[in-house]
Amino acid sequence: MFKFDRKFILGASAAAAVAMLATGCFKSGDAAAPSASNGDNVLTYANGKRVIDGGRYYATVNGKSGPYYVNTDTENGGYTYGRTPTANELEAWNTTVTPWRLPPKGQGTAEEGEAVYEAKCVMCHGDFGSGGGGYPALSKGNAYDNVKTLKFQRVTADAEGPIRVFGNYWPEASTLWWYIMEGMPHPDTRTLTDDEVYALVAYIMNINEMEIDGEEVDYEYVLDQEKFAKIVMPNKDGFEPVIDGANGLENVRAYFADPANFGAQKIASADERCMSNCQKETAKVVPITIEQKEFIPPLSEVRDLPEVENTAGVDLEAKNTYESSCAVCHGAAGMGAPVFGDKKAWAAVVGKGMDTVYANAINGLNAMPPKGGTDLPDDKFKAVVDYMISQSK
Amino acid sequence: MRNEHSQHDAENVSAERRSFFKKTAALSATAIAGAGILSGTRAMAEDDPVIMNTPDWGHKIGYPVTKNRYGMPSPYEHNITRRNAQLLSSGNWQASIAMCPIQDLSGIMTPNGLFFSRCHGGIPTINPNEWRLMIHGLVEKPLVLTLEQLKRYPNVSRIHFVECPANGGPEWRGPQFNSIQFAKGMMSNAEWTGVYLKDILKDLGLKPSAKWMLAEGIDSSHMGRTVPVDKVLDDAMIVWGQNGEALRPEQGYPVRLLLPGWEGNLCVKWLGRLEFAAEPFYAKEETAKYTALKPTGKAIQHFYANEVNSIITNPCPEKPWTDLKKGDLVEIEGLAWSGMGTIEGVDVSFDGGNNWVEAKLKGLVLPKSWTRFSFMYKYEGKPLILASRARDDAGYIQPTIDQETAVMGVESVYHRNGIATWEVTAEGKVNNVQVRS
Ligand code: HEC
Ligand code: HEC
Repeated sequence: MFKFDRKFILGASAAAAVAMLATGCFKSGDAAAPSASNGDNVLTYANGKRVIDGGRYYATVNGKSGPYYVNTDTENGGYTYGRTPTANELEAWNTTVTPWRLPPKGQGTAEEGEAVYEAKCVMCHGDFGSGGGGYPALSKGNAYDNVKTLKFQRVTADAEGPIRVFGNYWPEASTLWWYIMEGMPHPDTRTLTDDEVYALVAYIMNINEMEIDGEEVDYEYVLDQEKFAKIVMPNKDGFEPVIDGANGLENVRAYFADPANFGAQKIASADERCMSNCQKETAKVVPITIEQKEFIPPLSEVRDLPEVENTAGVDLEAKNTYESSCAVCHGAAGMGAPVFGDKKAWAAVVGKGMDTVYANAINGLNAMPPKGGTDLPDDKFKAVVDYMISQSK
Repeated sequence: MRNEHSQHDAENVSAERRSFFKKTAALSATAIAGAGILSGTRAMAEDDPVIMNTPDWGHKIGYPVTKNRYGMPSPYEHNITRRNAQLLSSGNWQASIAMCPIQDLSGIMTPNGLFFSRCHGGIPTINPNEWRLMIHGLVEKPLVLTLEQLKRYPNVSRIHFVECPANGGPEWRGPQFNSIQFAKGMMSNAEWTGVYLKDILKDLGLKPSAKWMLAEGIDSSHMGRTVPVDKVLDDAMIVWGQNGEALRPEQGYPVRLLLPGWEGNLCVKWLGRLEFAAEPFYAKEETAKYTALKPTGKAIQHFYANEVNSIITNPCPEKPWTDLKKGDLVEIEGLAWSGMGTIEGVDVSFDGGNNWVEAKLKGLVLPKSWTRFSFMYKYEGKPLILASRARDDAGYIQPTIDQETAVMGVESVYHRNGIATWEVTAEGKVNNVQVRS
C-alpha cells in the first residue's frame, strides 16, 4: 500500500513537473517575448499609467520579475517592526524648508549677514560670493541680467557660458534657507542660528542685487519670515516640466514619454536602426584639444610592488587628526591657509617662531578657527601642527 | 607571524617533525639568498628564466591563513585603484568624486573597494547602533526603524549599476580625458541587498495625496532629493548589503536608497529620513546642480533615468593594442547599460559610426545592470575609429553626439549618453576622440 502510494505520488509529481516545464517554457517565452518589448504595454505600470521615467516596467509574472524569482508571499504586508515616532522626534528631524513650508520665525539684515559671511563663508566662497578654487560662486552680480545668460552655449573655449548661481538660476529661495541651515558651513554644518541664516540669505540676495516685492534688498533690509514668503526668484519659470500642483506627476510622465524633450532616440524595432552609411558628409573626428591629465594617482597599468610609505617617526594620531580636521582647509589652495606640503609657505610660518605659531593656531588667526575648530588638548593639537610642518619641509 | 607559527608547531608537531621543519627552513634560507632555485635542465638563452627557475613563491612557504582575516588584493594590483582629479571637485576632497577603474574590471560586478564614490560633505563614520530610519509625512502610520528591525524585513538582492548623471559630463564640448577611467568611471555595478520600499509602505498607509518622497541623508551635508511615488511603488529599495557584505562607508553605510537605473545622486546615501508630500521639495541638488540646462534657456529640473549607454573597455586608452601583431585575433569588449530597461543589443563600428556590425552580448543580461558585449576582430595594424552603440528593451538607442547636442546643447552637464569613440592608431595606441558634424 505504502509502496504503491509512493510510486503513485512519484509518478504524479514527475508528470506534473513535465507539465510545469512545458507551461513554464511557454509562459516565460510569452513574458519575455522580445518582439513585444518595444510595444507600449511594457512601458506602463500595472495601473495602466506610463512609466514615469519613460522606461520599462517589470511586472511580476508567474513569480518572476524580469529574470529574478520573487517570493510573492513577502509582498502582502503585515509587518510589525519598528514603532511610531514621537511628536518631538518628528519635529526634531523635520527641519525641511520648502516652497510650501516656511522657515521658522526669525530675522536678519544683509549687513549682519555679511559679518557672518566674512567669519564663516568667505574663505571658501570668496569675496562677495565670487567663488574660486573650485568652490561654487554664490553670486555673479545682478540676478535679473544674469538670467539672460541662460541661453548662452560655450561653443568655443573663450566664449561666455551661462551663469548658474543662486540669484539667476535657482527656482526657489526656500532651498537656500534649507541648505545653509543643513549643509553649511561645509566643515561644521547645523551650527548656525535661525537669525544667522535669515541674515545670510539677506546678504546673498543683496550681492545678487535682488528685490523682494519691488523693494531692493539693501544693507539695512530686515529679512523675516513674512518677507521671505514673498520672494519670487527671477528664474522661477526656467524649468521643465512643471512639477508643482495637482498635475506635477502627470507633467513629468508626459515629458519623458517624448524622447525629443531630453535628447534621446527611439526606434520601433531593432531593424529600424541605421547599419550603413549612417553619417553626414561633414562628420569629422575631433581630438582632445585641451587635455586634462592631473590624475591622482597618475594612471598606471603596471603590476609591481607598491612603494612602502615611510611612516617611521610619523605621529599617526596626528596624521589622522590632520586628515579629518585640518585637510579641509589646508589640503588645497584657495582657502588662504598654508597648503600642506608647500615648503615655502610653511617656512614663512615657521619663521615667525614656533611659540607664535602655536599661539596663533590655538587662539585662531583670521580665517583660521581656534585650534582649527577642534577641541583637542594643547599638546595633541601642537602635535598636529608639528606633523603638518614636518611633512612640509 | 613567524613566532605564532612556530608556537603552533611546538604544540602540535612531534619533535621529529619539528627537526624536519628546521632543516627545510635552513634550506629555504639559502634559497632566498639566491634568485630562486634553478631547475635541473641547463637553461639556454631562448629559455624563459621564469619557467626555467623556481621563483621564491614556488618553494618558500607562504603566509598563514591567520593573516589578512579580511582579505586584500595582491600588492601587485596596487595600481588598480579609484582615482581623483581636482577638476572634478567643488573646492575640496569632501565635495568630490573618486572614479572607478572600469578598464581593469572583468564581468559585471565591481569590487566594493573600487566602487566609484561621490560625497557632498565628506564620508561619515556612522555608528550603526545609533542609526534610525524615519518614514513620515502623508502616511497613516509614521514609522521609526533601527537597523536590526529594518533587516528583519524579507530581503531581495538585485544587480544594478549606479551612475552619476555627470558621467562623461566634462566632455559635452569635446573630449578632455585620454582615459576611460576619467571619461566614464563615474559608475559601478553591484548586487544590492535590501527591502523593497513598497513592501514597507504596505503597512504604513500611503495617503492618496502623497505624490513625492523626500529622501534625506544623515551625513553632514544632509543631502535631500525628491522622488516621485511612482518609482517608490515600483522598484525603489532600501539597501544595506553590497556584493554580499555591508555597504561600504563610501556607498552609504549603514543604509542607502537605491532607485534602480536612476541618477546616483537620487540614491541618497547614509539615508535617515523619508517624508511623503503632495508637492515637491526643491532640494539643493534640484537647482544649480543636477538640472540639465538646454539651449532654450530652460532646464530639466527632475531628470531621472540614466539613458542607454555603452563604452568599449578593451581597447581603451589605458588598455591599448600596442602589443598586438598583424593577424592577431583579438576580443573587442565593452560595457552597455540602461537605466530604462535591459540591454537588447550592441553594435560596433570601425569607422567612427558610419557603418555598424552587431556585437554579441555575453554573460548575464539583466535589467538596469551592466551588460558585457564582445566582438572578435582580426587585428590589421591599421588606424580605426572604434565605436559602440547600445539599445534597450524600452526601445531607446544611443544617439550620436550630433543628435544629442541638437536637443541638449553643450551646457547641460548631465545625462550625456552620445556614442563614444576611440581612435586606434597604426601602432595600436588608443585615444579618446569624438565624431561630430
Ligand atoms: C570649507 C569650505 C566652505 C565653507 C567655509 C562654506 N562653504 Fe558653502 N560650499 C562649499 C562646498 C564645497 C559646496 C558645494 C557642496 C556640494 O558639492 O554639494 C558649497 C555649496 C554652497 C552653496 C550652494 C551653491 C550652489 O549654487 O550649489 C551655498 C548656498 C553655500 N555653500 C553657502 C555657504 C554659506 C552661507 C557659508 C557660510 C555660513 C558657507 N557656504 C561656507 C564649501 C564651503
Ligand atoms: C576653516 C579652515 C581651517 C581649518 C579647519 C584649519 N585651518 Fe589652520 N589655517 C587656516 C587659515 C585660513 C590659516 C591662515 C591664517 C592667516 O595667516 O591669516 C591657517 C593657519 C594655520 C597655521 C599657521 C598659523 C600662523 O601663525 O601662520 C597653523 C599652524 C594651522 N593653521 C594649523 C591648523 C591645524 C593643526 C588644524 C587642524 C586641527 C587647522 N589649522 C585647521 C584655516 C584653517
